[in-house]
Amino acid sequence: RQRTMTDHKTSKEQKYDRQLRLWGDHGQEGLENAHVCLINATATGTEILKNLVLPGIGAFTIVDGHKVSGEDVGNNFFLTSSSIGKNRAQAATELLQELNSDVSGNFVEESPDKLLDNDPEFFHRFSLVIGVQLPESTCLRLGSVLWDAGVPFLVCRTYGLIGYMRLIVKEHTVIESHPDNALEDLRLDQPFTELKHHIESYDLDSMEKKDHSHTPWIIVVAKYLEKWYSEHNSQLPKNYKEKEAFRQLIREGILTNENGTPEDEENFEEAIKNVNTALNPTKVPSATEDIFNAEQCENITSQSPSFWVMAHGVRDFVRNEGNGKLPVRGTIPDMIADSDKFIKLQNVYRDKAMKDAAVVSKHVEALLQSFGKPPESISEQEIKLFCKNAAFLRVVRCRSLAEEYSMDTFNKDEITSCMDSADSEMVLYLMLRSVNRFYQQHSRYPGVYNYQVEEDINKLKLCVNSLLQEYSLNVNVKDDYIHEFCRYGAAEPHTVAAFLGGSAAQEAIKIITHQFVPFNNTFLYNAMSQTSATFQL
Amino acid sequence: MAQLVGPLRKELADSLSSCRVLVVGAGGIGCELLKNLVLAGFKNIEVIDLDTIDVSNLNRQFLFQKKHVGKSKAQVAKESVLRFCPSANITAYHDSIMNPDYNVEFFRNFQLVMNALDNRAARNHVNRMCLAADIPLIESGTAGYLGQVTVIKKGQTECYECQPKPTQKTFPGCTIRNTPSEPIHCIVWAKYLFNELKTERGCLFGEEDADQEVSPDTADPEAAWNPADAAARATASDQDGDIKRVSTKEWARSTGYDPVKLFNKLFKDDIMYLLTMDKLWKKRKAPLPLDWTEIQQIGEEACGTGLKDQHVLGVQGYAQLFRRSVETLRSQLIEKGEGAELVWDKDDPPAMDFVTAAANLRMNVFSMNMKSRFDVKSMAGNIIPAIATTNAVIAGLIVLEALKILNSDFDQCRTIFLNKQPNPRKKLLVPCALDHPNPNCYVCTSKPEVTVKLNVHKTIVQALQDKILKEKFGMVAPDVQIEDGKGTILISSEEGETEANNNKFLSDFGIRNGSRLQVDDFLQDYTLLVNVIHSEELEKDVEFEVVGDAPDKAPAPSAPEEEKNIANGNKDSAQPSTSSKAAEDDDVLLVDSDEEPSSSTMEASPESSNRKRKHCDADTDDAVSKRKRLDQQPADDDDEDVIALD
Repeated sequence: RQRTMTDHKTSKEQKYDRQLRLWGDHGQEGLENAHVCLINATATGTEILKNLVLPGIGAFTIVDGHKVSGEDVGNNFFLTSSSIGKNRAQAATELLQELNSDVSGNFVEESPDKLLDNDPEFFHRFSLVIGVQLPESTCLRLGSVLWDAGVPFLVCRTYGLIGYMRLIVKEHTVIESHPDNALEDLRLDQPFTELKHHIESYDLDSMEKKDHSHTPWIIVVAKYLEKWYSEHNSQLPKNYKEKEAFRQLIREGILTNENGTPEDEENFEEAIKNVNTALNPTKVPSATEDIFNAEQCENITSQSPSFWVMAHGVRDFVRNEGNGKLPVRGTIPDMIADSDKFIKLQNVYRDKAMKDAAVVSKHVEALLQSFGKPPESISEQEIKLFCKNAAFLRVVRCRSLAEEYSMDTFNKDEITSCMDSADSEMVLYLMLRSVNRFYQQHSRYPGVYNYQVEEDINKLKLCVNSLLQEYSLNVNVKDDYIHEFCRYGAAEPHTVAAFLGGSAAQEAIKIITHQFVPFNNTFLYNAMSQTSATFQL
Repeated sequence: MAQLVGPLRKELADSLSSCRVLVVGAGGIGCELLKNLVLAGFKNIEVIDLDTIDVSNLNRQFLFQKKHVGKSKAQVAKESVLRFCPSANITAYHDSIMNPDYNVEFFRNFQLVMNALDNRAARNHVNRMCLAADIPLIESGTAGYLGQVTVIKKGQTECYECQPKPTQKTFPGCTIRNTPSEPIHCIVWAKYLFNELKTERGCLFGEEDADQEVSPDTADPEAAWNPADAAARATASDQDGDIKRVSTKEWARSTGYDPVKLFNKLFKDDIMYLLTMDKLWKKRKAPLPLDWTEIQQIGEEACGTGLKDQHVLGVQGYAQLFRRSVETLRSQLIEKGEGAELVWDKDDPPAMDFVTAAANLRMNVFSMNMKSRFDVKSMAGNIIPAIATTNAVIAGLIVLEALKILNSDFDQCRTIFLNKQPNPRKKLLVPCALDHPNPNCYVCTSKPEVTVKLNVHKTIVQALQDKILKEKFGMVAPDVQIEDGKGTILISSEEGETEANNNKFLSDFGIRNGSRLQVDDFLQDYTLLVNVIHSEELEKDVEFEVVGDAPDKAPAPSAPEEEKNIANGNKDSAQPSTSSKAAEDDDVLLVDSDEEPSSSTMEASPESSNRKRKHCDADTDDAVSKRKRLDQQPADDDDEDVIALD
């Protein structure tokens, strides 16, 4: 049994090798524990699901009351002509399931509206609900149910050559945001005791050449910083001129040979190169500060998600033991040094990080105990990961659909400022709202049959105008867009569905793994111009 | 069937069903692309791929399942698509696109060619074939979350080779054999070692085996022995017992691949021998030999939790892994019978174990921090992460470009870059207008010419053919004629005609400073005039230089400022996949530059952020026309992925 488990693990490692390199085994574990609900197995829907089944989500459930039509088979790879007349959820589940035996596929042959009527709690069980090609009324109803239940909702729509996504999540927390070019956390401006002692254990002046040129650059910078302090009132080099002078100071420390020419000491070169970033003052980044000051961090209850409990623990640390600083991250970059010196230095940082995390653990433990939760409800490992990423924490809060639609709260500024340029992707959003209005009035989308296109243009124009009027939007929508949207006839071309399927699945993975930062909150894609934009609506 | 009825004009819809297209590659992008094509209404599709299906493909190449592992990608892709869309007319070739059967005539059968490749050699070749046949080409690639699509049309746009691409980093032999300073050097050494031990000379890497020597290099100019040292060296050798400086492979065979003997030779005796070259260690930290018996005494701490692959073992752990992998490989070799050979493949566990162990032991000897199997695999296999979502997005974009081409809307075609997340200007996609051909391109101009600096007394004809014409200039079967008034044939692509010339120096044929060579590749329908500049002052380990093509130096004045970073695959300038399974990787190509995974985690980012690209999107008249391309590299710490995109 043990043996098969191991084999299974190895084969998974092999199968998922290329993606583990992006989100790690804990990201993969998050995926494997997720249960995603897809509403409507249209081309866009099955494309999204395909891209979630392949990397191995735990389970999916398709909700779809439609029967497979000939049109479906024409643009959907996961429906075949033999499935015409069958329930679409069932037919798509069968074929999607084939893609990956690790995934559990389920289906419900029911329309979302029926489920909302009879059993709205049905949707509470999912990690994420993805609604595809939903009529506006269904979308708003479901949006409100999921908002109240705290279930993330991703709305996706392919409309002719336009792709649309809207993410609705009250609060999405990210521990591993994978920032670009993050600064190292070296504390050279405020060395902790153990680091101070370690720096003191070096005496560059009495070193043999070999040792001298194999001393890690962090030590070199620290040593010359001491020298600098003694000559500059204990002030860090701040501006360019001072930093340049500091570099020169280091440069002068390079050993010279018998002829007086400097030796080739790469560690000193590295030190000089890293002066700028190494001397960055240690402080709590504003995004993390905002998290500490958030109401959720202030008022921890027994219901608080572990993210906030840990955030509170780190905040306690910063305000007490940390003296205003975050827990030490505990990693240092690769550098020129011999193994022994490097590992010793690495251990100084690592040990301090472990110590700091242990203190945070104590705070977290106390917090948990204060409302009667067992301390192990948040693992040591989670706390370590949290501490390590404390400088990169993110919280994404999307506005609800209700806020987007309400006359009082809709984002008028964003819409009008974008519409200053008539070809902004914002016009596509207004057009999608207008075709929804058309649907409300006519129970069909404009231009579905060729003969309707001409007469529908005027009808759609009326919808556009009434939308703008209702929201008192003083903007101009070009006729070209109205014609174009009529011409689309609400078609769902496969290529656009494929594009959106990739993009939406990507966001879904971010939501599920809590890694990387998802978009907030509306994404529009124009396949004609191959352009895209995100808006906050 | 409601294929795009609304959005597509009828004429376009008709031309989709009548036209014939070629898809080169049935991997990550290829699978998605085939699906998109049939569902967009394309009826006549040919697909070619020489690869077979591997387990690590299954997380994204959705036309394949576990039961298909080991089968032809092209064939299975075709069958899977037909299951879903029986009406499509698909022809599959399990073959290399560089095979001479696929000549210019073959390419002329198509209205459009779409690349879904993973290596630069094949990309270069298809580029030339499409130029020769005057068929539009859509080029594409992905790497992790990043992706790119562009359109190439003879005479109207830049071709794939209009902008010089950084060449793959190579390492001087001495660094690999004597003085490694980075983990990657040890990994390259371990891969050479694998081939050295496991192949018949000449089987896998031809006569170039000599380039992959792993034992200490006594000719290292840096070592520069005095005659007096030679005596010491001889003594050292004697003290080591009866080890003569024979090839590692011969020696290994003679011991029957005894893991312990092999270990002591590689990590003790060879290292002690290196130590006798004391000049090398004046400025460097000297290596520390390892002894098998001593290592067995060390008590080692247990590893943490998490995936096994991501642990860094201790020296004892790697010594044990070394022994086990040698034993496994030995029995595999015996199973295969006399004269058999093994081919290195990063996805073959014992081969990967061997390289992990040997590389780490060497890192230990040279006082470097050891790496986990996971990280070694990244570097050894040049692994680029690959996921379903990015490929899906890119394949979607390809078909939209295809529609514009078939609609003859070339001016609407774009190069499109896909970002990891919306950029500061809130764009996930960045479309750029296509550039005009580079008038100095050595491929797509009407009379292409290049100038090559080399030492005519030291360069042999074989090197001209393999390293310059094939590897550097991407030819498949070059013919070379000297413009000396007599039309001397230096190299003929006909087998056997000029083999006798191979080991002669260029100067033996009267080639000197100012000589001109006319090089033809009949398959590619490509003629290149090579001007030779003789130079005695090339840098160490540099065999030749293309004038005006030194990526490290300032760009040639003619080069436009933006980068066209159509990516190249991780196989880069290496041989096409046909020749070595070893260099192989899955899909795709990378986006900016030389794909050499760098050893220190993310040093790539700041460097790549210097790259500039003109942004010429019509609807974004932003003055900031330069943007970072790979600014999304995760600058994570050392326990994350080491896949650097630079």
